[in-house]
Amino acid sequence: MESNKTSRSLTKATILSFLVAIITLVLFILPAEYNIDPTGIGEKLGLTVFNDEASTPSAQQYSDGEQDSVILTVPAGEGIEYKLDMKQFQKATYEWTTDGAELFVDLHGEPKGDTTGYFESYAIATVNEMKGSFTVPFDGSHGWYWKNTTNQDISIQLIFNGDYVIEGLK
Amino acid sequence: MFGKFKLSYLLYPLLILLSMASIEAFAHGVDDSTRNFLQNNTGVQVLPFIYIGAKHMVTGYDHLLFLVGVLFFLRSSRDVLLYVSMFTIGHSLTLMGGVLANIQVNAYLIDAIIGLSVVYKGFDNLGGFKHFFGKQPNPKKAVLIFGLFHGFGLATKIQEFELPSQGLATNLLSFNIGVEIGQFLALAFILLAINFWRQFESFNRFAKATNTALMCGGFMLVGMQLTGYFVS
Repeated sequence: MESNKTSRSLTKATILSFLVAIITLVLFILPAEYNIDPTGIGEKLGLTVFNDEASTPSAQQYSDGEQDSVILTVPAGEGIEYKLDMKQFQKATYEWTTDGAELFVDLHGEPKGDTTGYFESYAIATVNEMKGSFTVPFDGSHGWYWKNTTNQDISIQLIFNGDYVIEGLK
Repeated sequence: MFGKFKLSYLLYPLLILLSMASIEAFAHGVDDSTRNFLQNNTGVQVLPFIYIGAKHMVTGYDHLLFLVGVLFFLRSSRDVLLYVSMFTIGHSLTLMGGVLANIQVNAYLIDAIIGLSVVYKGFDNLGGFKHFFGKQPNPKKAVLIFGLFHGFGLATKIQEFELPSQGLATNLLSFNIGVEIGQFLALAFILLAINFWRQFESFNRFAKATNTALMCGGFMLVGMQLTGYFVS
C-alpha cells in the first residue's frame, strides 16, 4: 500500500518534470537557441531574436565587404601562423605592421587535404610592415607565418579583406 | 513563525533567479570577449586561464545543478569533502587527459550526458532507484563517473579554440586550477544556501519539489543539447 503510493508519487514526479521540460523546450528554449519554433509562440514573444545575433559572428567570418583586423603577438624566439580558408582564385588584400621590430614572414598556401607538408610561398621577407594582395592558386589554407628572432615579444596589427573564412591562429 | 516562513521562501526564487541569470549570460560555452582573447593570444597565460576556468564554473549552470543535487542530502562536512573530491578527481582527469591526448568528443553529446547526470541525481534524491530497482547505484562511484563526463565537457570548451600547442599544458593546468577555484566559490554559496534552508521545516517539505525541479532542469539540458546535436 505504502509502496504503491511511493511508486505513484515517483512516477508522477518523473512524468511531471519531463513534461514541464518538454513544454519549456518547445515553447522557449528551442526557439531561442536554435530558431526551432513549432508553436510560433517563441517568435511572438520575441525569443527568436537571439538567432539573428547568433548568426552574425559566423557570417562575419565570410567576406561581406568589411575588413577584418586582428592584433597578434609573436613571442620572443618563436613563430606563429595566421591562416584563412580560401577557395581557388579567391582574393584577399592585406596590410600589416609590427610595433617596430622586424619579423621574418612567409606568406604561403597549403592545398586542402594535403598531407605531404607541401606549401607554396607567395612572398618571403624580413620587414616590419607589408601591404599587398594575393589570389590563391588552389583550395586550401592560406596565410602568414611570422618568426620572431629577437628576444622580445613583437605585436602585429593585421588588417585584411576579401573572400575567405578565417581559420585564425594555427 | 511567519518570519521563518518568509525567509525560507526567499531562497527559492533566489536560486531560480541565479540559474536564469547564468542562462542568459551564457548560451553555450564561452562568451565573446573570452573567445576573442583565446583566439588572439599565444604562449603561456597563467592568470587569464585561471580566470576563464573559474568563470566557466561559476556561470556553468549544468555543473552547478549537478552539485546542488549531489550536496542536497549531505549533512556532514566529511561527506561533502569526499563527494566534492570524487567529482574533482573525475573532471580533472578527463579535462587534462582529454585535451592533452586530443580526444575529440562531440560537445553536444557530452553536454547531454551532463544533463542526464542532473536527472540521475534528482531521481536518486527522490529515492527513485532504491524504490524501483531495490538498490541505489553507489553514489560515490556515480559522482566520480559523472565527474569524468563533466571533465570531457570542460575539455570540449577548450578544444573549440584549437589552442596553439605552445604552452598548452601550463594553460590547461591554469584553466583546471581556475575550475577548482570557481567550484569552491560556487560550493560556498550552494552549501550556505542549502544549510541555511535545512534549518527550516520547509526544506523537507520542499525536498521533493526541489529534486523534481532538478530533474526537470536536467531534462531541459538533455533536450536542448540533443537538439543541438541533430541540427548542427
